[in-house]
Amino acid sequence: MSTAAPALAALLAARRSDLAGTILTESTVDAATPFDPLRFEALFGAAGRRFGTIVLGGEATVSDSTAPSWSIATWGLDELARALLIVAGISRIAAADQVTWLDGLHRAGAMRERQAILRCLALLPDPARFVPIALDACRASTQPVFEAIACENPYPASYFPETSFNHMVLKAVFTEVALARILGLATRRSTELARMAADYASERTAAGRSVPADLALVMSR
Amino acid sequence: MKIFDPHIHMSSRTTADYEAMAAAGITVIVEPAFWLGQPRTHVGTFEDYFGSLLGWEPFRASQFGIRHFCTLALNPKEANDERIAEGVVALLPRYLGKDGVVAVGEIGYDEQTPAEDRWFAEQLELAKGFGLPALVHTPHRDKKRGTERSLALVREAGFPEERVLIDHNTEETLPMVLATGCWAGHSIYPKSKMDEARMAALVRQYGSERMIVNSAADWGVSDPLKVPKTVAVMREQGIAEDLIETIVWENPVRFFAQSGRLTLDEAPSTADSWEGNSVRRG
Repeated sequence: MSTAAPALAALLAARRSDLAGTILTESTVDAATPFDPLRFEALFGAAGRRFGTIVLGGEATVSDSTAPSWSIATWGLDELARALLIVAGISRIAAADQVTWLDGLHRAGAMRERQAILRCLALLPDPARFVPIALDACRASTQPVFEAIACENPYPASYFPETSFNHMVLKAVFTEVALARILGLATRRSTELARMAADYASERTAAGRSVPADLALVMSR
Repeated sequence: MKIFDPHIHMSSRTTADYEAMAAAGITVIVEPAFWLGQPRTHVGTFEDYFGSLLGWEPFRASQFGIRHFCTLALNPKEANDERIAEGVVALLPRYLGKDGVVAVGEIGYDEQTPAEDRWFAEQLELAKGFGLPALVHTPHRDKKRGTERSLALVREAGFPEERVLIDHNTEETLPMVLATGCWAGHSIYPKSKMDEARMAALVRQYGSERMIVNSAADWGVSDPLKVPKTVAVMREQGIAEDLIETIVWENPVRFFAQSGRLTLDEAPSTADSWEGNSVRRG
């Protein structure tokens, strides 16, 4: 099981000790029970109404074995519960089937279910396998889904190909998301991203519109 | 007055509609899964449709301060399509447990065929299993018979009548529905179904108990403001405010709250993404 699971479980227990203790057992993620995908999905789906969507806030952070810790203060309690289910549940799926399993969960996911999946991608085993799911979310116009992958999430900077990362940054500017919310942006600045940013600034100027101040953050390498 | 439109197909409507609805006082809506005007030929189309009703459309609604819930089902028309019927109903267990799903529907009759009997009954069983109420469409053609058969099927299934909303009622079907424990929906339409003045007359005759009003606005000639417009006509005709509020707010809340998933306490947040989101930016 991912090293992140106990940390997520502890964060959840600190907020909802009444529900957090049984969620893994009830969802059949617990190694003591045979894994039941439909039972898992029922609990995964119900997490919103059971835990609510209150934002964690405060000092909540998480880390896996390779990345430094990052803040998950913007996660909702439902997202934390669902992330715990995924991080723990994926260990019950054969390694070769894990991508298909998570892709199915994402495809059938309601908005906040998708958000939870995207937020915890970096905590899963061999995270690079899940890039197609993350790119799918980057194309979404459902803004909370886009922000779940683009913002307060170490995954894009660590695993996105350059073109995809650059387009995510431009989309963030375009949708007026503060670039400070993109983790690892400084490590992914590039000549090409600077060119795209400059072109966008030029397009705005030509249209008689203001140039978003955040573009300056990526206009030079 | 807070207004709840418990039946409206927003996937077919524009952001201008959302703006007008919010301005008219509509704060909560339910979007039932239904027929899109032409046959869908692949089960996978429904996965994306259900996904949209659980993701994109609630997000769009939230941008205008409106809470969006949905009901999911194989609709009566497409129950007759052997290419998809079985596969769509097989999909449902994956979706019916999700937050935001407040009933199974629209189920019911279109042409009153054996296939419709079968999938109506099977989906009532699914509703039982998931602890959800049922939203039942009544047919445009042979409506009285279709309503009788719907009520009979609900009774035979042993489905609790107080958890059934029989929709699109007329002067002729309403007494049949009120004689049971089922709730009675009325779709206020520009030309067909029910209109505002007739609705007001029904309220004067039958009162407000288990009475529900909706716009059923979709991709056809219809009007997403029909609930507030009905409120205005009921007021003009001297119907008491508390009676009106029971019909356009308390009743749909009470009916769909039986799902245990009608979360109205946390208001949709518009502050974070008002300027930045891809819908409102234009």
